[in-house]
Amino acid sequence: MADPTCESTGVVSTHKDRSIAWTVTIAFGVVILIPCLMGFIVKFGELVALTKDPADGGFAITPVINYLLASAGFFFLLLWAALNGMFRDLERPKYLMLENERELDAHG
Amino acid sequence: MFESKSGILYIAGIGFFALAFVSNALVPWLMYRDIPEKTVAELINPNLRYQFEDLARRYPDSFNATYGTPPGGDAKDDAWWNEKCADALRTGHKLYVGEGCWHCHSQFVRPVSNEEERWGPVSRSVEYQNELQRPVLFGTRRVGPDLCREGGRRSNDWHAVHFFKPESLSQASPMPEYPWFFDGSPDKPNAKGLAIMTYIQWLGSWQESYPYYEAYVPSPVRKPEEIQETE
Amino acid sequence: MTATAITSDTKSHEELVDEKIVKFYLITALIFLTTSMLAGILVALQMIRHNPFAGIELFSPGRWRMVHTNAVAYGFLANGFLGCLHWAIPRLTLQPVANKKLSWFIFAAWQVVVGATAIGILLGEAQGLEWGETPVWIDPLAQVGLLLVAINFMTPIARMKGPMYVSLWYFLAAFVWTFLTYAMGNFIPEYFVSGTSAGAVGGLFIHDLVGLFVTPLGWGLMYYFVPILLKRPIWSHGLSLVGFWGLAFFYPLQGIHHFLYTPIPLFLQYGAIVSTIAVELVVTTVIINFFGSIWGNAGVVRTNLPIRWFYTGMIYYFLTCLQCAFQVTLTFQKVIHFTDWVVGHAHMVMFGVFSMWIMGMMTYLFPRLLGRNWASRSLCEWHYWLSTLGLFVMAADLILLGLFQGWSWAALEPWDASVDFSFPFWVLRVIAGLAMFGGLLAFLTNIWLTFRAAPVTAPVKSGGLLPT
Repeated sequence: MADPTCESTGVVSTHKDRSIAWTVTIAFGVVILIPCLMGFIVKFGELVALTKDPADGGFAITPVINYLLASAGFFFLLLWAALNGMFRDLERPKYLMLENERELDAHG
Repeated sequence: MFESKSGILYIAGIGFFALAFVSNALVPWLMYRDIPEKTVAELINPNLRYQFEDLARRYPDSFNATYGTPPGGDAKDDAWWNEKCADALRTGHKLYVGEGCWHCHSQFVRPVSNEEERWGPVSRSVEYQNELQRPVLFGTRRVGPDLCREGGRRSNDWHAVHFFKPESLSQASPMPEYPWFFDGSPDKPNAKGLAIMTYIQWLGSWQESYPYYEAYVPSPVRKPEEIQETE
Repeated sequence: MTATAITSDTKSHEELVDEKIVKFYLITALIFLTTSMLAGILVALQMIRHNPFAGIELFSPGRWRMVHTNAVAYGFLANGFLGCLHWAIPRLTLQPVANKKLSWFIFAAWQVVVGATAIGILLGEAQGLEWGETPVWIDPLAQVGLLLVAINFMTPIARMKGPMYVSLWYFLAAFVWTFLTYAMGNFIPEYFVSGTSAGAVGGLFIHDLVGLFVTPLGWGLMYYFVPILLKRPIWSHGLSLVGFWGLAFFYPLQGIHHFLYTPIPLFLQYGAIVSTIAVELVVTTVIINFFGSIWGNAGVVRTNLPIRWFYTGMIYYFLTCLQCAFQVTLTFQKVIHFTDWVVGHAHMVMFGVFSMWIMGMMTYLFPRLLGRNWASRSLCEWHYWLSTLGLFVMAADLILLGLFQGWSWAALEPWDASVDFSFPFWVLRVIAGLAMFGGLLAFLTNIWLTFRAAPVTAPVKSGGLLPT
């Protein structure tokens, strides 16, 4: 084999491997989530305070409602698609694509 | 649908793009549609006329070579000056865009970071509804100062020397020199030089606080009777 | 569901891919990158007041600043992507492009567009919109070119049968988006709206050009090249669905975040901010997907240079997007808007991410296109390290400087003071830029040496792997 590094034969996932993976994932998540949550809570507090203002309250809440509606529409579309079985066999193209590559290189 | 060609083409490709265009571009467009867009001729005001005529006084040879001489007769003259001034504004704007001035000088004052103190009154929508803001020159970077309140702060002489060789007036300035706005020396601006100076002096000339000076304090000169009282 | 598997009547690589046009695109891309970097160095030298061409009209730094950005976007990235697409799309769909003659016409027309843009800008004919400086008389030609690109590449995608691989979703959408975005940015703010609303359209344009032209093509190509180089499928094809649709939905909604605190209505500014933060979550899913793909096999970055370029770009991508989620807030904007922070951010995206990916793809493709192994591994290493470290220094330098500038301005210090303390940072920026340019020179030399070497009869090393 010319180049062992390129020929990955799949990972032998040991218990140790998995625990490292979890540690990294959790650490990563915490690093992202803590500042995000802090920012969100502060901003959400500001928004709640602003909505109580009789003059600017409606102005502040309108875009939020718009965004929630748009996101909800998207979410239901996704749900509908999933219930209609559009996501069966979702992983097949990624194997086909590699197979094609191998064939093309073998013939070429 | 989410993996199909038509789904991607119509929902993602066209649908989401249109949604963004409507919400991010069409909405402000409709909100400001009632502010009329001014033409260049409508932008000329006494402050600007003063600066433009000042250019004619300071650089008569350059000025006459570029714009000719007023035909005479007061009413006619007024129209003539306005027309030439509009020409200068248009050319000046083209140079300002073509030389990329707007990549280093912004044209808007934000309501934060003490910008009101430094540059002058916060920018309003109505200031931008004119032909010379196509496309709008908000700018994204300030290597040099903001310019939307620059008009009238400095004399035409200052600008001429500064355009010719910025370092001679602001020592550490990274601004490039523009000798092609002149015929060899700063006292001989050519058509381009006159136009760009007119454009710069126009910026902010519609404001009540024209010229706007940072932390301006009225001159401490006292009236004669006050002097006598204290002495 | 019929599968796109190879059958006896499937065309071979030679019938599918026009290798010559890939080569031409990639070489042209490198020529424009060289031009752009030289332009960048000229402007950087002007900032430290050592411009060797001071006072010469055709070398006006303001004009070369626009050449710098336009040559990168339309000369380097567009050509680089088109070249790689001519390789990837036929191989993914097992269909050739619509018409090979049309490909060559597009190639020629596109170079005319980019060349004419550069000349127009140098003659002072630019328009006042970032990345839309393209002089008015070139815009229609560019628009037609983009339409032809879409036709040429969408035909094989339309002809293929079976479920589409994720790369093709990105490509399909990108062709539509690029066409629409270019039309929006180059015609509406010039002819239809002015003032504040033009600002909103302009913001949308510069944003969509990154988000709907460069980003989907870049990620689409990553989804193609990373699995074939790692010889293992992408970790989760289902997760990539989240990445694609998240990008498609949230990315276009953010245009106004380039003009916060302007007279554009504040509720629209809020909307742009919210969706920018949302897209950061989407980006995280994509990053997870790619790091899941290499998990347990990360050692390949030591030997496999294309993979190293790709994953370095992804790390920079994550950093950029993380930075984005913070800098887009009004709190950060107070300080960093108008400062060098923004310049640092832009370089991290355009060079650190997308240029790096194109460099990686070039490192993989050139040996195959030339039929020779890389002449020098050490030159490849120099290219990588000079680019990566140079960019890191430049971005860190400018981002830090941006904070200092912002605070200095807010503190109402004299303007000159902020210019004075920026000077050493700008000097360091020149040095970093020269390092990046040095990396490019190493790459160009290596291509030349490879071209001059004797062709190998055996297939070139898989994955552009280099002789050790």
